[in-house]
Amino acid sequence: MLIQAQQLEKTVDTSEGPLQILQPINVSINAGETVAIVGASGSGKSTLLSLLAGLDLASSGEVLIENEKLSELDEEQRAKVRADKVGFIFQSFLLVPSLSALENVMLPAELAGHKGAEKEARELLAKVGLEDRWHHYPNQLSGGEQQRVAIARAFVGQPKILFADEPTGNLDAKTGGKVEELLFDLNKDYGTTLIMVTHDQQLAKRCQRVLQMEAGQLSEAAQDVA
Amino acid sequence: MWHKISFRLLKQELKRGELTIMALAIILSVTAVLSLSIFSDRLQAGLTERSSEFLAADRVLSSRRDIPQEWLDQAGQMQLQTAWKVVFNSMAFSGENMTLVDIKAVSDGYPLRGELEIADQPFGKGYVAEGLPAEGEAWVASQLFQALQLDIGDSIEVGNSSFKVTKVVTYEPDVGFSVFTDSPNVIIRHSQLEETGLIQPGSRVRFNVLMAGEPGAIDAYEDWLLPRLNDDTHSWRSIEDGDSPLSRSLNRAERFMMLASLLGVVLAATAVAVAAQRYCQRNYDVVAIFKTLGADKKQIRRIFLLHLLLLTAASVAVGMALGWAIQYVVIEWVAQKLDATLPQAGWQPYALAGATGVISAVMFTLYPLFRLVSIPPLRVLHRQLTAGNAIRWLQWVLSGGTIYALLVIYSQQWWLSTALFAGGAVAAVILLGLGRLFISASRKAGMQAGSSWRLAMAGLQRRAAQNSVQMLSFSTAIMLLLLVIVLRNDLLEDWKRQLPADAPNYFAINIAQDNVDDMQAMFERENIPSTDLYPIVPGRLTHINGEKLRDEVTKEERDEDEAEGREGIGRELSLTWRDSLPPNNELTAGEWWGEDAKPQVSVELNVSERLDIKVGDELRFNLGGDVFTVPVTSLRKADWNTLQPNFYMIFNTSTLEDFPATYITSFRLDEERKSELYELFKPFPQTSLIDLDAMIDQIREVIGQVSLAIVFVLVLVIIAGALVLVAQVQASMEERQKELVILRTLGAPGKLLSRSITYEFLVLGAISGLIATLAMEISLFILQNQVFNMTPVIHWKLWLVGPLCGALAVAILGRLSCYRLIKRNTAQLIRKLA
Repeated sequence: MLIQAQQLEKTVDTSEGPLQILQPINVSINAGETVAIVGASGSGKSTLLSLLAGLDLASSGEVLIENEKLSELDEEQRAKVRADKVGFIFQSFLLVPSLSALENVMLPAELAGHKGAEKEARELLAKVGLEDRWHHYPNQLSGGEQQRVAIARAFVGQPKILFADEPTGNLDAKTGGKVEELLFDLNKDYGTTLIMVTHDQQLAKRCQRVLQMEAGQLSEAAQDVA
Repeated sequence: MWHKISFRLLKQELKRGELTIMALAIILSVTAVLSLSIFSDRLQAGLTERSSEFLAADRVLSSRRDIPQEWLDQAGQMQLQTAWKVVFNSMAFSGENMTLVDIKAVSDGYPLRGELEIADQPFGKGYVAEGLPAEGEAWVASQLFQALQLDIGDSIEVGNSSFKVTKVVTYEPDVGFSVFTDSPNVIIRHSQLEETGLIQPGSRVRFNVLMAGEPGAIDAYEDWLLPRLNDDTHSWRSIEDGDSPLSRSLNRAERFMMLASLLGVVLAATAVAVAAQRYCQRNYDVVAIFKTLGADKKQIRRIFLLHLLLLTAASVAVGMALGWAIQYVVIEWVAQKLDATLPQAGWQPYALAGATGVISAVMFTLYPLFRLVSIPPLRVLHRQLTAGNAIRWLQWVLSGGTIYALLVIYSQQWWLSTALFAGGAVAAVILLGLGRLFISASRKAGMQAGSSWRLAMAGLQRRAAQNSVQMLSFSTAIMLLLLVIVLRNDLLEDWKRQLPADAPNYFAINIAQDNVDDMQAMFERENIPSTDLYPIVPGRLTHINGEKLRDEVTKEERDEDEAEGREGIGRELSLTWRDSLPPNNELTAGEWWGEDAKPQVSVELNVSERLDIKVGDELRFNLGGDVFTVPVTSLRKADWNTLQPNFYMIFNTSTLEDFPATYITSFRLDEERKSELYELFKPFPQTSLIDLDAMIDQIREVIGQVSLAIVFVLVLVIIAGALVLVAQVQASMEERQKELVILRTLGAPGKLLSRSITYEFLVLGAISGLIATLAMEISLFILQNQVFNMTPVIHWKLWLVGPLCGALAVAILGRLSCYRLIKRNTAQLIRKLA
């Protein structure tokens, strides 16, 4: 079992009292699985993603990555877990504006202190079809190109888990389609576990499992597509 | 690895101009501090050198007995220039006539500072003398030609010697402002002193050795000499000991420069702080991404610290170069304009400027950096997340502490720094509150107005918290600017008032009682403006409340044994009597006498403070053997800056009128009428005239230099202020950008948007200007009262000028900064925000 959520809950304080965003959630994800989390806006998809990735802490319950309890780790240790095992793709790309495409891709490997970061990054840029654009800065790239850089960055260092938050949400259908292809191809090549939050039913259907989020409750809408 | 990332980030941010404001702020603060402190250092050194002329030296060793040759030798060995100046009274004879003169026997080199001026005819136009009178010759003051009925080429006899009069002395740098050097001067060579036979044991002679040299050498010699001095016979003087109007003016100028520099530093530091805050805010996303990708706090801290240190180092270097260049150019210009050379400054300004740059860059960025490092990774999903305000106090402690430290470093005065700091802190709190109040008031007003106005007021209100901080720095900048401008004007006005174009340029002294009416009639007939004639009776103050006073006092003596005997004035005083209070005097305690015939005296305030005299004290005077005691019935403040007769002690008429007196007055005679002087004063042969023109010119010249320096300071403060404004406007840009996108998307026309932005800045600027004017008046009141000894006035005009200029400046700067934003099309804006 790669990732496990046990009785995971999230409550936030609002001016009108505490608001429960996640009802107790239990879910297990195996290595190599591709999982889509679908649901309406505000249903709690992104919150679940942030808890599973260790970006945020649960109010109660537990997330385990390779049997390591995230709640027992401090922020620094959780950062280490992300550096070693996790990659991210976001709806708004979140590239560092003052780094070039190549430097953005190298960043996770460099932060983790990997040698040969540049070679690996160049190979990945070639795989996403941007080998000629390596020296360009994010503001010189189109949305689709930026997301391809983000995908290359997500796979550098060969993470075990890839979290994607609406990866095509900011792109037009055509570009979105291309990015989608690229994402699933690379995922297949690297054998990464993909956990993706999306609105897009078509995109969700390409995953092995689809989890439905509704008012903070998670239900399995399992359907084998693969 | 982390340093590579840091370099990359810095390189690109620099290229894209993201760090421009921050770098500019650091550069400016270093430039301002460096150029200002080098400039003021050099100017100060120049002014001191200039004012050393009033001593004719840097230091004067003075003694009642001969000074050991060994001490002069030692001075020579320590690379100091020396010259003798021996001064004493003696009778001078020429044919039937005789009079008391001041003999000044000087050696080669005199004067070591300043120039001696001579003329070929009495009251003629002076020129700079080269060298001294030859052996057997004497140069004498114009008055002596009257008193002895002399002509050029005649001889005068002094003691056993006879001297041929070859030149007329028109200006001696070391005559000073004392009007009571009552006898005309005769200058002879020091080498001929002995043959006059006038120097006998017991004769009243002042031996002076003038010294000049590098400050270091003088200090070293001072250390060597002071333990050898006998307080009873020796005194060691520098220009700072003098209490001349010039030294007071210098003092004020120095304080002004220091204060203005302080304000400049605070402004620049504010700009750094604002820019640093914005810089860190812009990097929140970057840090969140880094953390999401697995960076730990240590890495992030290192990356951004290095980033910042590199930026600081580069900016400090640029600032140093720029500051040096600016002061170089300005100094050259000043030197050219004033025909003066200014000495080089030491290393201190460079250290000070470097320290200021590093301190303000590092200290003002620490808190924003701390927040930056603690940005949660979750921000990648929730963009509104920031670091929280849990340790906000740290920001106040850090920036407050830094400003205070800078104040102390810069002023080297604890009390002034503490007062300024405490005042500033209180003002900041009040300003913040006032700002909020005004904003909410203007919101209400804005609701009644057209749509641009409504939008502008809504914007103001929405950003109330941010705006009141912004307003605080706008107000501070505007206030400091106003303060410097007003203070400069007041200082200059004050100086001008002391030296009006029609200031008296002659003192007439030794006027015989019989001549008083005739002389007054002459002044009236010839249309010569003059002051009242004051009688003078020489006398000594010997006791206060029965306590005997010490005879002569040196500064060292005062410091060392305060207990021994009560301090006295140490010289014969010129006493006068009068029925009414003199025009430029003001009573500070007691009452002026009316018809009261009982003996009494009014004492000048400074002297009363120095000698600890109060109303009701009994003073005993000795007037040539006549001893009497009078009560003090009032204290008076005299304006010593006017070139009019002033007196320490004024008695009521009945007390002194029976003593034999001479009279004194001052008058104004224009340059073109100077040739008439001889004829005008021919009927009053005993009267001596003292020409003040050379001295007045010298003061004017010094004031000219100082005024230029002040203009320079002003320009720097204005630039610093403008930078704060730009930094602030830039800081609010991101927020505005978001709003603009929304409004543009909703179809708001460009005109409406640009108008609403302009109005918002106009209101912000006007409110800031108003608050600034208020704060300026209060600070000015305190400063003029406490620091500059000036009379505070309210500047009504500024209550209009302040808000108006504030509104215009902020609106123009804000509008310019937003120009590109408004011109962009909506798609570009959205893209930029994404």
